[in-house]
Amino acid sequence: MEPVPRTVLIVDDHAGFRRQARRALEADGYQVVGEAPNGAAGIQAAAELEPDVVLLDVHLPDGSGFDIVSRMLAGSVVLISTHDRQDYADLIRRSGARGFLAKDQLCGATLEALVAEG
Amino acid sequence: MMDHEGRIVGINPAAERAFGISDDEARGREMAEVLIPPTMRGAHRHGLARLVAGGEPQILDRRIEVTAQRADGTLVPVELTITRAAVDGPPLFVGYLRDIGDRIEAEEALRRSRLQLLRATDEARRRLERDLHDGAQQRLVGLALTLRLARGQVERDPAAAVELLDEAQEDLASATDELRELARGLHPAVLTDGGLAPALRGLVARLPLEVSVAGVPEGRLPIDVESTAYFVVAEGLTNIVRYAGTQRAQVEFELSDGSLAIEVRDFGRGGADPDAGTGLRGLQARVAMHEGKLALTSPPGRGTTMRVEVPCAS
Repeated sequence: MEPVPRTVLIVDDHAGFRRQARRALEADGYQVVGEAPNGAAGIQAAAELEPDVVLLDVHLPDGSGFDIVSRMLAGSVVLISTHDRQDYADLIRRSGARGFLAKDQLCGATLEALVAEG
Repeated sequence: MMDHEGRIVGINPAAERAFGISDDEARGREMAEVLIPPTMRGAHRHGLARLVAGGEPQILDRRIEVTAQRADGTLVPVELTITRAAVDGPPLFVGYLRDIGDRIEAEEALRRSRLQLLRATDEARRRLERDLHDGAQQRLVGLALTLRLARGQVERDPAAAVELLDEAQEDLASATDELRELARGLHPAVLTDGGLAPALRGLVARLPLEVSVAGVPEGRLPIDVESTAYFVVAEGLTNIVRYAGTQRAQVEFELSDGSLAIEVRDFGRGGADPDAGTGLRGLQARVAMHEGKLALTSPPGRGTTMRVEVPCAS
């Protein structure tokens, strides 16, 4: 059986959200090992920290999350957004990400469900 | 007047003025050479030949828009009607020309202002989407996360749950305030309900400025005029807060026969650039649709005055 993913990197340009996401995930037993406010910093942080999971915002100041999924060195990349899945349909599948979570749905259980698949 | 071989038989004084050529100079010359731009001469000659040969009667007695040429070579858009003169013998054609340069210019101006309004509308929508996304939506997301956490703590650690619920209440209050502010920016309810006077009082109260307001029209005006007037003042005062480096401003209204004039004035920095800023562009588009006028005077160091005039049926 696969070990439960533990380490998470949060890539999102809203500091408030990063703080609340960290709090939510840590309350559910995840270990948030890093935060990054944009794509470039996120890619660098992922390379350095090699997290199990990267939470990657779709709207970043230096580009779209969809475009950098493939450059993220991590176990799984999960795209997040305030918009919901229906707005993005196809793009999620084609990006190579593990899946998508609407930000207001983020918690240990929903994240676990995505990354523990397959 | 032109004969069947395309030669000018005569032109009247009005045509002399319009084309810059005298009747004496024009008579006897081929009209194609004198009044028609080079690129269209071939078509004209062919058309005339066909007409004389009995074809193309449909070109007669109808208004056609063409480009004619003055004696000095400049082109002029004209509306042309050709009739056949009722004389015996070879056909004689009379052309009636009207300079439509002004009308074409007006059509161009209308097209430009429509495009400007469309762009301004799209820009405003994008800004709204951004404001909603970055503001209220983010707060509500945060609220969802906090409430879920609180829910998880209710049995385990009630004190922590209480703290989280207090936090949630504060976040909710902020979100509501932001949405309220957004709605005001879109269109304040008080403007619809009470008109300019109360809407302006509310606007001025919320700004860090000392504003003297004079001449606010008593009674209601057409809704679109009130909206434009409100947004002129809102935009003008907002720009003063942002750029003018001063805390005093003047707003003056003047309702005269058929027109409302609005002036927003400060005595601060000056040097405002009318082309910068989407807010001002949006205003220009609005004012253009009223067929009104917007003028920005802003000598560096000497303050800024924005003056808008909109037609107003009283």
